[in-house]
Amino acid sequence: MSAPPVVDGRAGGAAAPARSTTPTAVERLKRRIPLLPALVLTIVLTQVPLLGTVYYSFHSRNLLRGDAIEFVWFANYADILGDEHFRTAVLNTVVLTASTVTLSIALGVALAVLLDKAFLGRSVVRTLLITPFLVMPAVAALLWKHAMFDPVYGLLNWFLSLVGVGPIDWISELPMFSIVLMMTWQWTPFMMLIVLAGLQSQSPEVLEAAKVDGARAFATFRRITLPHLRRFIELGILLGSIFIVQTFDAIFLITQGGPGQATMNLPYFIYQRTFRAFEVGESAAAGVIVVAGTIVIAIFALRVILNLFREEG
Amino acid sequence: MRAVAGRRSSRVAINAAAIAVIVFSVFPVFWMVSTALKTNEDIFTTDIVLVPTSVTWAHFREIFTEGIGNTSLWIYLRNSTVVALGAVLFGSAAALLGATAVARFRFRFRASFLIMLLIVQMVPHEALLIPLFVMARQAGLTNRLLGLVIINVAFTLPFAIWMLRTFVAAVPRELEEAAEIDGASRFRTFVSILFPLVAPGLVATSIFSFITVWNEFIFAFTLMADESGYTMPVALRWFIAREGIDWGGVMATSTVMTIPVIIFFLFVQRRMVSGLVAGAVKG
Repeated sequence: MSAPPVVDGRAGGAAAPARSTTPTAVERLKRRIPLLPALVLTIVLTQVPLLGTVYYSFHSRNLLRGDAIEFVWFANYADILGDEHFRTAVLNTVVLTASTVTLSIALGVALAVLLDKAFLGRSVVRTLLITPFLVMPAVAALLWKHAMFDPVYGLLNWFLSLVGVGPIDWISELPMFSIVLMMTWQWTPFMMLIVLAGLQSQSPEVLEAAKVDGARAFATFRRITLPHLRRFIELGILLGSIFIVQTFDAIFLITQGGPGQATMNLPYFIYQRTFRAFEVGESAAAGVIVVAGTIVIAIFALRVILNLFREEG
Repeated sequence: MRAVAGRRSSRVAINAAAIAVIVFSVFPVFWMVSTALKTNEDIFTTDIVLVPTSVTWAHFREIFTEGIGNTSLWIYLRNSTVVALGAVLFGSAAALLGATAVARFRFRFRASFLIMLLIVQMVPHEALLIPLFVMARQAGLTNRLLGLVIINVAFTLPFAIWMLRTFVAAVPRELEEAAEIDGASRFRTFVSILFPLVAPGLVATSIFSFITVWNEFIFAFTLMADESGYTMPVALRWFIAREGIDWGGVMATSTVMTIPVIIFFLFVQRRMVSGLVAGAVKG
């Protein structure tokens, strides 16, 4: 992943050599300095906790035993990777994240395209659709557990009883499906908002030009809007995945990782290591492994990081 | 004729689907508000009580007059507001500048920088908790709202920069170049060309940051030692006792918590309309 030799980014390399705006080094520095503090601040704020976690992952530390912190090389990593529950948690996290992201981005794009058109009461509908995202995740989890999934007086079973399907005990019969359903409910507004903002950031001149040239609405959507949206959709998938991998409240409050290990995901696994077993080193190691795994997935499945090098010249 | 009828029926289908989606989206929230207004008899029955048989404000009155635990509700609300607004203002400003730098300038390690940002966002918070707590204690930031603001900025900034970067990158560079050829200063170009076009992105980003910070539980819980420093999500814990959940209290508090978020959303979402963007570019 070595970056290509750095030429001046603005001029686009050799493409525009005729223009005499190639800035001098001083000019370039003047341009960039105002933005420097933000970059430095970001680096300090965000990287320090990460370094702390990496540090702990190489040390043995149990909060119950007051003994000294000891450097243990990769022992924590070995323990974690050898743990059968960890492997189950990895698998569950992949299933949970992939299903939720796919469902919520599909729904989100559809809703955003509908909401981009003018109709009566649009802002009311928009706000209503956003509400799932505005509720605190822990509260949302409690609400779903009791108002939606409850076998006796939950809404889902009431709907099913209308078409004559018998009551389902959602949480114990379909635990993963229930969690995915709830997470999709919670994350669709997120996807919708990103895509909607993307739709609205389209330069109106381009759309007008297409109209003047006589392009049909569908052709305009497919040829202009969709390519423009692509990067927003990718962004939604990427950021959505990162957040959904971290799902904790729903698991903790609805299923406690169960039944058995059916919905045990990585954050819940780490939580148990830290707060039940008090193994700080092991949970830090698990955190680092999660990061490594997520990066691999991000590179292979999404190609977003690679696109970064290609599309911005 | 048939084509018209076909189009009409597909329209009906789309509308029906849209209504179903809206009901599905809103129902849990509706349930929250309706439970907050129910009497305990309505709450603890096995029948489905959609609308309270008799509306009571008792749960709200209780949390407002008696507070939650030993502390007034207003203290929790104040803490939450200070932390959320502080983190959003501080974070958005840094994110806008940072995103512009990353999207517009090429510098060595730019890609590594972006990837590092993302990596931080990937670490499960549960794993970061202990290292963060130890560091905050060394910096003297435990039990202070400032510490919470800083931690929340740290966790919303990577996401904000990634989002805004996309918006900045989507602004055609030609627009900026044209302005510069017309003699606009770099600052002027930033303010009158880039900023209006990125504004919807900034709004979306600040909504996400605000919601994330407002609802953040685990750091607020670990970092603050005194009840008077707790935020709303931490206060909510009071109702979940071993002998069962005080549903009326939980739902009333949750409703109170959700209102500022909705107000914030309504306040900023108007700026997302395309008209503003179009006007700014043409004008």
